[in-house]
Amino acid sequence: MPEAPTADNRSRRAKADALLEQIEREEAGQLKVFLGAAPGVGKTFAMLSAARELMRQGIDVVVGLVETHGRAETEALLDGLELLPRRAATGDRAHDEFDIDAALARKPQLILVDELAHRNVSGSRHERRYQDIEELLGAGIDVYTTVNIQHLESLNDVVQQISGVRVRETVPDAFFDRASDVVLIDLPPRELIARLRQGKVYLPELAASALERFFTASNLTALRELAVQAVADRVDADLREYQAAQGSGPVPVRRRVVAAIDGSENSEYLVRITRRIAERRHAPWTVVYVDAGRAGNDADHRTRLDTALRLARRLGGTTETLRGVDVVDELLGYAGRNGVATIVIGRTRERPLARLFNRTLTQQLLMRGAHFELTIVATPMARARSRRALLQTPKAPLRDYGFALVVSLVALVLAHLADRVLSVSNLSQLFTVAVLVVAVRSRMSVAVFSAIVCFLGYNFFFAPPRYTLVIANGSDALTVVLFLATALICSRLATRLSLQVQMLREANAHAGILGRLGRELAAAADAGQVTAIGAKTLAQAFDAEVTVLTPGPDAGLLATAAAAPPSMTLSTTDRAAADWAMNHDQPAGRYTDTLNAATCWLLPLIDDGARLGVVAIRFEAEETVLSSQRRDLIQAITHDIAQALARTRLADALESARLQGETERLRAALLSSVSHDLRSPLAVMLGSAESLQRYGARLEETERNELLDGIVSEGQRLDRYIQNLLDMTRLGHGTLKLARDWVAVDEIVGSCVLRLRKIFPEVRVEHGAPVDELPLLYVHPALIEQALFNIMENAAKFSPPGVPVRVSAEQVGQEIRIDVIDAGPGIPAEERSRIFDMFYSVERGDRGKHGTGLGLSICQGMIGAHGGSVEALPGEGGVGTVIRITLPLSGVPMPAAATEDEV
Amino acid sequence: MTGAGPASILIVDDERQIRRFLEISLQAQGYETLSAASGAEALTLAATRRVALVVLDLGLPDMDGQEVLRRLREWTAMPVLVLSARAHEAEKVRALDAGANDYLVKPFGVEELGARIRVLLRASASPTVPVVFDDGRLRVDLARREVHLDGATIALPRKEFEILALLVRNQGMVITQRQILVELWGAEHVEDTHYLRVAIGRLRRRLGDEASAPRWIHTEPGVGYRLISP
Repeated sequence: MPEAPTADNRSRRAKADALLEQIEREEAGQLKVFLGAAPGVGKTFAMLSAARELMRQGIDVVVGLVETHGRAETEALLDGLELLPRRAATGDRAHDEFDIDAALARKPQLILVDELAHRNVSGSRHERRYQDIEELLGAGIDVYTTVNIQHLESLNDVVQQISGVRVRETVPDAFFDRASDVVLIDLPPRELIARLRQGKVYLPELAASALERFFTASNLTALRELAVQAVADRVDADLREYQAAQGSGPVPVRRRVVAAIDGSENSEYLVRITRRIAERRHAPWTVVYVDAGRAGNDADHRTRLDTALRLARRLGGTTETLRGVDVVDELLGYAGRNGVATIVIGRTRERPLARLFNRTLTQQLLMRGAHFELTIVATPMARARSRRALLQTPKAPLRDYGFALVVSLVALVLAHLADRVLSVSNLSQLFTVAVLVVAVRSRMSVAVFSAIVCFLGYNFFFAPPRYTLVIANGSDALTVVLFLATALICSRLATRLSLQVQMLREANAHAGILGRLGRELAAAADAGQVTAIGAKTLAQAFDAEVTVLTPGPDAGLLATAAAAPPSMTLSTTDRAAADWAMNHDQPAGRYTDTLNAATCWLLPLIDDGARLGVVAIRFEAEETVLSSQRRDLIQAITHDIAQALARTRLADALESARLQGETERLRAALLSSVSHDLRSPLAVMLGSAESLQRYGARLEETERNELLDGIVSEGQRLDRYIQNLLDMTRLGHGTLKLARDWVAVDEIVGSCVLRLRKIFPEVRVEHGAPVDELPLLYVHPALIEQALFNIMENAAKFSPPGVPVRVSAEQVGQEIRIDVIDAGPGIPAEERSRIFDMFYSVERGDRGKHGTGLGLSICQGMIGAHGGSVEALPGEGGVGTVIRITLPLSGVPMPAAATEDEV
Repeated sequence: MTGAGPASILIVDDERQIRRFLEISLQAQGYETLSAASGAEALTLAATRRVALVVLDLGLPDMDGQEVLRRLREWTAMPVLVLSARAHEAEKVRALDAGANDYLVKPFGVEELGARIRVLLRASASPTVPVVFDDGRLRVDLARREVHLDGATIALPRKEFEILALLVRNQGMVITQRQILVELWGAEHVEDTHYLRVAIGRLRRRLGDEASAPRWIHTEPGVGYRLISP
């Protein structure tokens, strides 16, 4: 037998709910937030201290990411804690990020992640750090984190009012509410300012100018109050929850708070206020929008409304869109059905006439919703308006009334002039025209006003009995009615006209979007840019989430090419719909008849019959209908994207054909080089060895030695060649990693000289005197040595006997210059720039006397990898060649003071 | 243990041809040789036969050469000469830091191998660490902390003397950068190779030695330094 819920029943259910909530929270990781009023109060310090204490107790603690900002006392606390390596983001070290994958793999009991409000660099798994933390908690890892009060979403407005600084990195209150513990790190403002003066506070998010405004005693006091309040609220809530779970204490009757928003500029503000009211009362809250069909197609209005509703959901409230003609009826009906205690409305613009007849929303709610608590919030807009109203008389309406008066007077004068010619009844036509003019140009109230003025003028001056306001016959009464009718009809027409203007403007905006898109697409160089621009444009223009899918490399399966926002993911249904749209050249998913359970609308990208991909657009869940205008515009945009994609595809095909050709050429050149450089030493070795094997006994001692020497030296040549080949493949495949180390120039030159002496014992090497005063190079020693060796080997090969190869090194500015000078035949000017070119050296490998082999082209790659350059210059007096290596010096290390003190 | 007879050189390489030519050339120089084609075999031989020195290839079929080295070093200080391919610079440094006494890069000359083996055997034969280096021009006396060049006493700053002393104690053998840095500056300075470069540069200048034509201190590119008496 169903029984009405008794108080007892309700309390039992509340208790069960509370317990369930507690259990759910305990299964996931626990979140502890160290909350401060401002930067510099010592949150990180407190967090680290707490973590050390836990570590001492044997808890497995890992520091995921902590910003010490160079504070020595904080850094000292890190000592002994396990630090998770940061994930290197592209670019400088300042952007190294928290490595969530490493954290999940490490899976400690507790992880410390500083700065909850941080925004990750683009390309990270999550956009925001709190999302990273959410994932950690989900994996059952406890998390300690820090945040300042100004980053709390619901306090965003208040903080701005207090400090004048709009904080962009906000954290949803819903996330903050998840924290099982919040620790307030409190520091009196005076001490904080003192710390600031001592330079102990690091302020990344505030510009220097904002800093002074921000760090005043009054600001800090206010922020401190906010922080204390936030923690106090939480403590209160925790207590209630605990009591509810234990079954002791009063079971809170949580009556709902409802805010009604209308999509005006105040909506967001209203949502935040409501959240705070509800929070203080520990009440659930809802934001309601009543769609009375009046808003029409106003895009701004729709955007504001969506933003406000989204904000409400982020702040932990629910949202509801009601449809009905009468706002008050709907609102009160909803409130009655849902156990609402309080209705929050903003003080909105009120029409004087409506106020006169008690027709404003506020008044009607007051009259009919007597059993609800009604909170009317003075919104910033309303406050600003009332202030304006006090300072100056409203201009626009007055001007309109003046205009109406002038037009009526003109009509009066004209009527007076025409009085002799026209009959009285015809004179009224003049006034009709006047009313018409006013109605078209102005609003309805003004039109009615002019109708009244015209009627009074007509009646007083022209209608018999003249100069009285007496209405003598029925036709005069009719005139009044006609004037009023004209005013009403015309102003209605005028309104529609302005609506049309509005629509025209919208069409203009659309044309603007298409134009901009066209320009950006035209500039896009590859498919990646096209999809990125397309996704971005669609996402911005329609306030939606957009993913562009293109056929991937494997079997044409669709893969994400671009997404805006990058975090957007597609469900299985979305993917299925995307495949369908791709294969049937028709839209699918939401707003269509195919797979409309999908959350996205999926449009195929087709150009000239070629299937190029699919665009997935996800609108807000509330947006159940898609206006035809939007539909058309989106289709126009996707068409443009498809065309641009087709264009880049063609360009890609051409480019890859060119690359293919180049690779072929290189392959052929390499093969011919291999056949020469590998085979000639092998031929010598095989031939010599075989001669020894077969005829060794018959040969002279000197002949045997000659053959043996040949085997050894050709073997060494082969070794060098293979080393070069290996180096080249390393360079060519981009797998080369520079293992930089500090090294002295003379050591590199030295080991090259020693190596060279083994191959060309007869070649002398001279080097310029003061090489040992040069600063150290920070390079990959083996690579630079190989490059220099190849150049010196080449020089030795071409040097006439008896003439030394000279090597000199000097510092020129922030560079080291190493010259290798030979007195060989020299290089023709037109070939100088080409000798380091791989094609040049490889292609002429088989023709040259010894062939430069791959040696010089490898130099180019190795030196280039260090940011240096190699060039060939004519020798002094036109004899021989100078090969010049230039290497940049990177921050000369301090000559170690540690080497100084005498024995 | 086989007891009497001269100790052998254990050659560990999985390539038969290399083992063979090493055996031939070493026997020609008067050494007894043992050969192993795998890490396990090498460890067994090293433990059961009288082995004076191990020539160890780092690329072995059954276990990493580094692992063989580690297991050898668990119980013996016998000299180990590591063979490595050119492409693996880091490998040889690792092996040296892990206790190998010297290295050779493949391909190598037989003559050079012989010279290295002689140095290692000499060092392991004399139980005491050399305290004096004297080649007629340069004389370093570690006990008295004195350095004489061409008869004249030269004063070296402490660090430079310590580097020289370290090289003298291991004369003929390669000392890695890491070993020098850890010994002289401490483990926390193991990355600060520029300390070492500057100190070596100054030491060479004081000794009148040149990197491009070294008389005493030879650079082993990417690995370390070696003191050789000319």
